[in-house]
Amino acid sequence: MAAESLAPATTNRMERAYKPRSPLRSAFDRLVANRMAIFGGVIVLVFVFMAVFGQWLTPKDPLYQDLMRLNEGPSTEFWFGTDELGRDLFSRILGGARTAMLIATLVTLIAAGLGTVIGLLSAFVGGWVDSALMRLADLLMAFPSFLLAAFLNATMRQPVEHRLKDLSNLTGIEFFTNRQVVDFVVVFGALAVVGWSGYARLIRSQVLSLREREFVEAARSIGASTPTILRRHVLPNSIAPIIVAVSVNFGNAILAESALSYLGVGIQPPTPSWGQMINANLDQWRYYPHLVLVPGGVLALLILGFNFLGDGVADALNPKQGRR
Amino acid sequence: MASFVLRRLLAFIPMLLLLALLTFVLSYYGPGDPVRLIMGENWSSEEVYQSLRHQYGLDRPLMVQFADYLRHALQGDFGRSYQQRVDVGELIGRALPVSAQLALASIFLITVIGIGLGVVSALFLHRWPDAAISGAGVFLHSVPSFVLAPIVLVLLVLKLDLISTPTGWHGLFSVQTLVASSIIAASPLLGVIRQTRNSVSDVLSEDFVRTARAKGLNEWHVMATHVMRNALAPVTTSLGLTFGYLLGGSIFVESAFAIPGLGQLFFSAIRTSDYPLLMGATIVSAFWIMLMNLVVDIMYGLFDPRVRSGHGS
Repeated sequence: MAAESLAPATTNRMERAYKPRSPLRSAFDRLVANRMAIFGGVIVLVFVFMAVFGQWLTPKDPLYQDLMRLNEGPSTEFWFGTDELGRDLFSRILGGARTAMLIATLVTLIAAGLGTVIGLLSAFVGGWVDSALMRLADLLMAFPSFLLAAFLNATMRQPVEHRLKDLSNLTGIEFFTNRQVVDFVVVFGALAVVGWSGYARLIRSQVLSLREREFVEAARSIGASTPTILRRHVLPNSIAPIIVAVSVNFGNAILAESALSYLGVGIQPPTPSWGQMINANLDQWRYYPHLVLVPGGVLALLILGFNFLGDGVADALNPKQGRR
Repeated sequence: MASFVLRRLLAFIPMLLLLALLTFVLSYYGPGDPVRLIMGENWSSEEVYQSLRHQYGLDRPLMVQFADYLRHALQGDFGRSYQQRVDVGELIGRALPVSAQLALASIFLITVIGIGLGVVSALFLHRWPDAAISGAGVFLHSVPSFVLAPIVLVLLVLKLDLISTPTGWHGLFSVQTLVASSIIAASPLLGVIRQTRNSVSDVLSEDFVRTARAKGLNEWHVMATHVMRNALAPVTTSLGLTFGYLLGGSIFVESAFAIPGLGQLFFSAIRTSDYPLLMGATIVSAFWIMLMNLVVDIMYGLFDPRVRSGHGS
């Protein structure tokens, strides 16, 4: 390890003038060398595969209820058994993978996007806008955001449904009255509303500190415009911490969604969601433990995969911090 | 110190006000008509409906209702629960001691186990015990408490047959409380382990530690008086960050184990759209978390005199 990290340092000085070694490239090399991260990455890839192709792989219809065969244990016909309504649990787990992955990617991207816009706004406008936005971020961070998300979900579902219905009448697009769409809008919205504060603080502090650096001053003195400085200097230098924050938050988004669904305010049945499956069968754990353990195990496995991968990404992008 | 505490307490006021306003507005526009809930079976009579609406003051403008709510809340009156027909203050008063004891037990476990494992990690930095502890920490952090609770239940009751009645509240010093608080402690443990590991390993590479060892002090003495004193201050901050987790965890664990605490109230309130209870529980738990964070900051000052003098200016 030591020899490896020394070698580029000595050659770098000569090479740098012609072809700089990309920091993202070397971060990627470090990521691949991390066994835990690869383990997490493989888990995540398996779930991505399940989410994308699960629809065509399900042995049964995840919504079909065979009321003669309730709560059966695992068998060759039903790999994970059947649930409280006689549906094939394996097919429902596959459907849940789709929900979980959709949530993980969309919630994280929406929250990160919202946070980036607010952070940039805060840093560039400054003044009372800055302090108002940052006080709001303080409030969100001081309070367990999960409670607020649950509160938003519990209260905002009906109003959102009505608005979407109006929108559907206005545009004539059926899409907006789909129950699943309403669910997703409410859950995504609530999780993004409580999730942006961390990103906003990160971006704001990055911009504020980078703005004072010599290379930005140099760029400004040779007449570069603000958008150019943002694109060429500020963004490339703040990309690593943003990637770290995003990669660590995938697991959190899945956890938050399943927790909301467990409380009964997240994704509504019959759309499959692992958290809601656990909740539906929790009082039966003595008699049908598999109905709780299978969705719980799958959920934990996916979050574990995301966390290992996220930690690996964080270590790869901050080599100094990881190997003190 | 006193002025620091006072200033922090004053900063609670706008935050709690904003939170109360937010939750009040959300409940106002949320689904479920409280009057219909109160009327129960006789919901068809329009006259009764209107008079009840008037009687509860629900026909007044939003801001007037909010001011009224605040005035009562300041006197400890959070209204009546829609579902349980009892004063919210009374429900919370009964639940709070249970949750506080459960949180105390969890904090104790997090502190002892987290700092212990963190120190072990730092002493074996980059060797297998460090990797094993880190892996186990990530594992425990990844399993949600509402997954861990049924797994532990199945294991302890069905497989090992150790306890027969795992649910309910049996006092602070009982197996049931130990099990429940361990599950709550599982997720926030990782942060404390990592913070301890990093700050202890930082301090271990300081010059004064080398000096202390060179003087021939024994290793225990070096650890206790030179390393831990300096390393623990940042750890208290990471302990403070766990309070939010504790509350979140207690919602799931209390509902899975049928423990009559604040988390249980929150769980049932959210499932039945019981807004007065939901608001009361939210505001009280937010206040509790802020208070605990303040306690942590005060402890931080006690550990590290530099912070104390910094705040005095």
